[in-house]
Amino acid sequence: MTRVFGDPVDVWTSGGRPVRFVWQGRLYSVRRVLEHWVTTRDWWRESRPDEQAAGEREFWRVEASPDREIGVYELRHDPADDSWMLSRVWD
Amino acid sequence: MAVHLHVASAYSLRHGVARPDALAARASALGMEALALTDRDGLYGAVKHVQACAREGIAPIVGADLDLGGGERIVVLARGRAGWASLCRLVTAAHHAGGRGRPVASRDLVAAHAAGLVVLLGPASDVGRAVAERRPDVAAARLAAWRAVAETAVEIVDHHGRGEAHRAARMLALARAAGVPAVLGNAVRYAEPGDHPVAQVLDAARKLVPLDRRHLEDVTGRAYLTSPDEMRRTAERSCGEDEAAALLAATRRLGERCALDGGRDLGMDRVHLPETAGDLAERCAAGLVRRGLERSARAAERLAAELAVIARKGLAPYFLTVADAAALIRARGIRCAIRGSGAGSLVNYLLGIGDLDPLRHGLLMERFLADSRPGLPDIDLDVESARRLEAYRALFDRYGADGTATVSMMETYRARSAIRDVGAAVGLPPHEIDAIAKAFPHVRARQIRAALHDLPELRASGLDQGRLQVVFRVAERLDGLPRHVAMHPCGVLLSNASLRDRSPVEQSTAGFPMSQYDKHDVEAMGLLKLDVLGVRMQSAMAHAVAEIARTGGGDVVLEDLPAGDAPTYEMIRSGRTLGCFQIESPGQRELVGKLQPRTLDDLVIDISLFRPGPVNSDMVTPFLDARHGRAEPAYPHPDLEPALRESNGVVVFHEQVLRVIDAMTGCGLSDAEAARRDLAAEDGRERVRAWFAGAAAARGYDDATIAEVWRTLAAFGAFGFCKAHAAAFALPTYQSAWLKRHHPAAFYAGVLTHDPGMYPKRVVLDDARHFGVPILPLDVNRSAPQWHVEPVAEGGAAGIRVALNEVKGISDAEVGRIVAERPYRSLPDFWERARVSRPVAEHLALAGAFDGLHGAGRRDLYRRVGALARPGRAAVRGQLPLGDLGEEVPAGDLPPMTPGEIVEAELEILGLDVSRHVLTFYDDLLDALGVVRARDLPGARDGDRVLVAGVKVATQTPAVRSGQRVIFATLDDATGPVDLAFFESVQDRCAATLFGSWTLLARGRVRRAGARAVTLTGQACWDLAVLYGHWLDGGLGAVRRAMAQARPAPASASAGPVPSGRVVYANGFALSPYADIGHAGPDVRRSPARLWHASGGSSGPTV
Repeated sequence: MTRVFGDPVDVWTSGGRPVRFVWQGRLYSVRRVLEHWVTTRDWWRESRPDEQAAGEREFWRVEASPDREIGVYELRHDPADDSWMLSRVWD
Repeated sequence: MAVHLHVASAYSLRHGVARPDALAARASALGMEALALTDRDGLYGAVKHVQACAREGIAPIVGADLDLGGGERIVVLARGRAGWASLCRLVTAAHHAGGRGRPVASRDLVAAHAAGLVVLLGPASDVGRAVAERRPDVAAARLAAWRAVAETAVEIVDHHGRGEAHRAARMLALARAAGVPAVLGNAVRYAEPGDHPVAQVLDAARKLVPLDRRHLEDVTGRAYLTSPDEMRRTAERSCGEDEAAALLAATRRLGERCALDGGRDLGMDRVHLPETAGDLAERCAAGLVRRGLERSARAAERLAAELAVIARKGLAPYFLTVADAAALIRARGIRCAIRGSGAGSLVNYLLGIGDLDPLRHGLLMERFLADSRPGLPDIDLDVESARRLEAYRALFDRYGADGTATVSMMETYRARSAIRDVGAAVGLPPHEIDAIAKAFPHVRARQIRAALHDLPELRASGLDQGRLQVVFRVAERLDGLPRHVAMHPCGVLLSNASLRDRSPVEQSTAGFPMSQYDKHDVEAMGLLKLDVLGVRMQSAMAHAVAEIARTGGGDVVLEDLPAGDAPTYEMIRSGRTLGCFQIESPGQRELVGKLQPRTLDDLVIDISLFRPGPVNSDMVTPFLDARHGRAEPAYPHPDLEPALRESNGVVVFHEQVLRVIDAMTGCGLSDAEAARRDLAAEDGRERVRAWFAGAAAARGYDDATIAEVWRTLAAFGAFGFCKAHAAAFALPTYQSAWLKRHHPAAFYAGVLTHDPGMYPKRVVLDDARHFGVPILPLDVNRSAPQWHVEPVAEGGAAGIRVALNEVKGISDAEVGRIVAERPYRSLPDFWERARVSRPVAEHLALAGAFDGLHGAGRRDLYRRVGALARPGRAAVRGQLPLGDLGEEVPAGDLPPMTPGEIVEAELEILGLDVSRHVLTFYDDLLDALGVVRARDLPGARDGDRVLVAGVKVATQTPAVRSGQRVIFATLDDATGPVDLAFFESVQDRCAATLFGSWTLLARGRVRRAGARAVTLTGQACWDLAVLYGHWLDGGLGAVRRAMAQARPAPASASAGPVPSGRVVYANGFALSPYADIGHAGPDVRRSPARLWHASGGSSGPTV
């Protein structure tokens, strides 16, 4: 079942790839990166975008587990402010 | 080393973002040794790419990204000379197959042109689509089909979008299984990361949809020219480390095989002229006899010199071809004149290409043709604008469709078009976009925000805020990008049957084969371009001459007019030159008033002086002072007197620059011409200065003389005028003035038909009134398709009859039927037989075309058209016996139209106030205010403050010496033109009104500029229609209160009047960045939809 979240998460990375993250107080270890992709920002919807309309968002779909159960998690990274968000969960 | 094989430049219209030179520079900076350009469906950027790569020292690869219909695309790359020819022919075939503007290729077309081509099948190919749909068997079958027709490779692309890496891996697996080479591409659309918003706006503009993720072809921002390192990482990400190395190696190998050589493969190292017959020297010798020059030693010497240069450059076939082309055009009876530097060549004169004797007019060959001039010389021919395409057809007939093509040009994004496309992309409402775009003058897109800051009419607009700032910022980034390919207005390419192997050809809107090359590409490719310019004045004069003959005035041969006709020059000196070639603008009317020309040579100088160069380096005043004996002509050195005597010591012509340089350095005219060309650029100027100073000093000139001469040469800089060109212009100037003076009705008929000038036609019409030419109204039984001359009474002055073509919305077919079915007895009779559309019939009725048939009012006739057009009647139109059903139009019960309504209808339908001048409706107000009329201005004293009024007929912002943006406005007040200059100090309170109003009241200070010419320095202006509303509501007191209240909004003025980006030349003179651009607001040539200002219950003039 897919669930959609928009929760901020803390992420540890290695070589740009997420390796661990904390969500709702639990620590998840990334087992495998299933897919990685990027998108541009919808700069035209922003009423006062900063000078650079450029800048992208990064998505990582990963297999991760807090314990023995493995789920699929989609993490969103905004390099502009280095913030991470958990956008979707399949479990 | 990595190489990009799939790259779109800005010449992929509304798709690519970067210009070819930017891409080549970026590739070189990334350390690449080669770069491909594969624009969409065309080779518009190919030559520029090859040249840019040569400058960067990298190998050019050229291909095309071809549409196969339904969004399916492949890339083809050319290998060697055979591949280049195949590519040109394949692109031509794709354009031919799809019809104009919709090129579409196919596997069959590729098969027919496969020699030397390599097909790349990427994600957008049918193979890539099958892979995306997870149908490996279908993909394999399609791949096999492509391999059967051409050399094929699979192109792996990964823009880091969702699912792309997996898809890329499957593509690679397919290639490996089939044993087809796989290469890496990045489907590049822009040079740098961060340019993707521009690509996204172009996606929206191309598809005519608002910006939204689902419409965009680029959602990852990764379609840039990636570095070798990034390419390797991308390959590793989708294909794994081992495969990545193999993929990059295969990419490099294919790149090496497809590297082209501009000379060997594209033929850029030589010229490709048509086959010609005849011997140039023999033809010139015959020309000497024909022109009566066979005994002239000067002519013989000059001819030998010219022929020697031509022989050294191998250009004899070029001259024979152009001579042949000019003869072809003249043989069709089309007026044809040489223009430009070519008039300076004796060979051109002897071959009959031009009719100006260069020896008699002191014209030099070197400005046109010299050992120091690279490339093919330029010969330009002026023909009647209305018959330009006929001239083209003559050339196509002669040289064959395979060896002939027109030249293309790119229309590029400027401020208004960029704002329109970006505004639409971000979803602004259309009427808002329209208003914002029109608020801008015709500046470059990159000047948008500077203009908002600099120009008072925009500072006051409050546009620069909120969301619009985003629009403006992105719009600026569209600056100069090509958006539309069009036929160049005059270039015709003449070559041989190999042309289609060298140039892709598509069809132009006018139906001519059109090369995808622009004029620069054509030159680089060694192709001969003949410029055949359509000149409206030539058509206007041809029409006038035909009208004179038709009305029994005899055969006028303009080429044989008596030189120096006194009445003609008297008219020119009076400044009443509206409608004449070259001398009708306010500035020119002022200059001819000061210069007082008496001969053709005076006109040559007049035309040359009225240019930014002479104005910029202040040549006009010393010239006029010397001419009128107020000062002695000053020569920097006696040696220069022969070169400068004709212009009283002032440098006016390019030819004089050559002579001055030659006289002081002894370098010869050919090298002097090279030096003159170098003066145009900053670094070149510095080089020439050092050389010139040294060479002149070596010949004994002192430092002060050298410095003085150099100052003049430097000021001349990029500007100045070629005397041969000015002489070629002066002739039609004199001819048009002669016609105006001696055959005014025919002259106005020609000018009104072909509209050659800068003013709205209604101004020309008013000028005709002042010259005593009766204006005859539109009449279905008398009006011709074009304006014609019609005697008013036996022996009386001839009038001009309003043309049917002036009626809004009328078609050629309708005009033809109206004329063919004449005469008409009544409106119903007309309706039965002329069979025009209802709106056209209504327009004819309202514009008075039936007044001659019916006494009834125009409003009744208009209503009658409605009755005739009712569905029941329309069905039986043409079947009723004539004379039946309402031949009589009953006198109606509707009130007749007032004179104000009649003029409003005339302006709406004809764009002309025929029955009376529109300003006459304001006479009572103007008299009450004490407004001075144009005809009375010559009597005003210098420095007087006066009120003037009129219909705005022109606004210009020409380059002036101070670098200010001065707004010159011309008002037409029914007694003549009133010329005003508004300086920057008053523009804060005047500019918006000036650009936004159609009728104006202005206050100005009188400045006398010669015997009769008067101009005003504008101090304030008001919208006359608004003031008239106050007049009707509250009388003179209300008008004066309104005039006093009109004050500038002080807050908006805070930015100050100094524009950013004022260009200051090395010679110390400045140029406003807003000089010589189209103004803000609606087109001055059209009257507004609503004429009378609706204010306080007034319904327009009550006269």
